[in-house]
Amino acid sequence: MKRLHKILLTVSLGILTASSLSANAVDEAAALDVKKVCDVGANGLDAVLATAVKYNKAAKEHGVEFKRLGITNSIYISDTLAAVKAKKKETVLNYKSKGKKKTKKFSTDYAAWRACSFAVRALQQKHEAESTWRLAVPGDGFK
Amino acid sequence: MLLKIAKISALVALATCTLNAGGFDTQAEKDRTALVAYSEAKFKDADKNRMYFPYSTDDELKNNFPKNIKHDAFALGSYAFNSRGKSQYDDIKEMPPYEDAIDEGEELYSKKFANGKSFKDCFPKTDIAGEYPYFDDKKNSVVTITSAIDECLVSNGEKSWNMKKGKSAKLQAYFSFATMEAGKKVNLKIQSQAAADAYERGKKEYYSQRGYLKLSCANCHVQGTGQRVRAEYMSPLLGQTTHFPVFRLKWNSLGTLERRMAGCNKDQGENPHKAASGWMKDLLYFMAYMSNGMAIDGPDIRK
Repeated sequence: MKRLHKILLTVSLGILTASSLSANAVDEAAALDVKKVCDVGANGLDAVLATAVKYNKAAKEHGVEFKRLGITNSIYISDTLAAVKAKKKETVLNYKSKGKKKTKKFSTDYAAWRACSFAVRALQQKHEAESTWRLAVPGDGFK
Repeated sequence: MLLKIAKISALVALATCTLNAGGFDTQAEKDRTALVAYSEAKFKDADKNRMYFPYSTDDELKNNFPKNIKHDAFALGSYAFNSRGKSQYDDIKEMPPYEDAIDEGEELYSKKFANGKSFKDCFPKTDIAGEYPYFDDKKNSVVTITSAIDECLVSNGEKSWNMKKGKSAKLQAYFSFATMEAGKKVNLKIQSQAAADAYERGKKEYYSQRGYLKLSCANCHVQGTGQRVRAEYMSPLLGQTTHFPVFRLKWNSLGTLERRMAGCNKDQGENPHKAASGWMKDLLYFMAYMSNGMAIDGPDIRK
């Protein structure tokens, strides 16, 4: 019984920590300047991709991950990381669209910028929406 | 004396429950009424309300938009205010491409599961489309018609179906058709605080901008209703759920509300939410409530 209590306590604490970290990530991202933190020239590929990984994880937890033309930001991140590891200047994104396998090429610098800016912006929009969504509701903020 | 006290207590409890039940839907009713008023005012005379249709041509405003569109007419979606599109829609409706799907849905309804039971055991009545989605207080979750079908399958030892198209859509077409034939309307209730919370979550998501295009559902289907994206007019939130499942010409097949919503997520530039997710269920609960009191008129056709 004591063991069960311990497990329950650990799981609850884990969930609480994860959700508070995720909530913190939204506030953290809201304070960032995307053009600065995702600038590959100024920060380097590794730092920009680390930012992308960190914030996209939170974006997924909040259900706001970006997807552009069939390519999720997770794909941008994983395929760009693979290109960096292989020291390739070009990133090949592998994705599925309407059941068919497809590829798209970008320069690795550009793919990293996009992965990072998509991750941070998704959370910034989440933060902005907290104060803007009511403005669109007829009978409430929308007059 | 004791009997009197018991009777009075029971009456007080009943009155409290009734008052509370009435209270949980207060905000939702306020929202729905405001949406009806907004939609009717916007389409009272499009030519005079040009501020709502900044990119429409004189010809469209004078000749394509009917005047004084009333609440129930919005169930037709964009065909409520697109006279030319409506004539094409009427032509297709003469030989609707979903008729076979209704028959197949009826077969699925009666077909026995491996355990000898069938959907009849889960859904004794077929004219039920107006009752979904509802909030199940025991599960503390919204139940959509799609999730109810899935639960029926799983609880009877069957494999889940695709929640966006195929058999589930066909069975829903049968339910929807039976509901329309019975002349029933959307009849949702919000009877607990948890249900009101689910409604509020759905509402918040509907009006929140999302995706890399930073669009909310409302950008297109409340403020944007009547405006065009390329050649197509955007449909109104009012009545948006009454005609599902729909046969979309783009899909060339029948699809559920969940399928359509996943498409909207993609259009917004967001990774679509799963059909069985709490996010999707809450959103559909809000959307369906906005159509409360409108006639079920599915299945239907959309482009």
